[in-house]
Amino acid sequence: MIVPMSTVLAVSAILFGIGVFGFLARRNIILMLVSTEVMLNAVNLSLAGFSQHLDDPRGQVLALFVIAVAAAEAAVGLGIVIALNRNKPGAGVGDLTDLKQ
Amino acid sequence: MLTAQAVFYYMAAASVASGLLAVTRRNPVQSMLWVLALFLHVAGIFLLLSAEFLAAVQVIVYAGAILIFYLFVVMLLDLPDEEAKPRFGKHWPFAACVGVATTLLAWLAQGAVAPAAGRLPDTGAAFTGSVAELGKALFGPFALPFELASLVLLAAIVGAVVLARKRGERT
Repeated sequence: MIVPMSTVLAVSAILFGIGVFGFLARRNIILMLVSTEVMLNAVNLSLAGFSQHLDDPRGQVLALFVIAVAAAEAAVGLGIVIALNRNKPGAGVGDLTDLKQ
Repeated sequence: MLTAQAVFYYMAAASVASGLLAVTRRNPVQSMLWVLALFLHVAGIFLLLSAEFLAAVQVIVYAGAILIFYLFVVMLLDLPDEEAKPRFGKHWPFAACVGVATTLLAWLAQGAVAPAAGRLPDTGAAFTGSVAELGKALFGPFALPFELASLVLLAAIVGAVVLARKRGERT
């Protein structure tokens, strides 16, 4: 392994933190979804690192499944965004307060 | 070896920087392009971790398909006052604290998992990261999850079509 496992995990942790911040702080619903993609990518990074560290293909297999589920999530999430946009133009989460009443 | 390490640290720094830029840019299209840079750099890290197939899938599926899909939606939707409104909610310092706390938590947790290498069940042949071994694992012990993943994707396709269709529209 060219770098210590802890370095890979540190990069993954920082990327995951960036994704969490983006998801919680952004007001644009599309950028919130993209932040979840950043988080999933951070997890994939750890899985690939573990796969090499433990000398085992299962980490990479799990990362492939994560990518497949991320594609499904993107399709459904953006479908919801388009449906929301049809009822109420704009992509800010601050406007989506219809369930309050 | 030193070159590979230098490339790894460049990839790591560039992914963190482009991730930060992606979540802080005001213009959504610029954000998407920084996310594209992030995905490509993560693909480079995958290559250095000898996960070649994962790197290829990262470039083809993430950068090629998912991100273009996001870009299409950003460009199709009319977002008139996106530039004028504040990009962060009022609670963004709290969100930053949660992000930093999550990073620290993940960093502290690694001490618990790193020595676990000897305790995992041995799978027999040493894994070198080759695509052939990955394929054997995917179609051998992971055949059922693989088929289930295709079912998940089918459900997502149907769900996206149903959600995005106009109400009452007949096809």
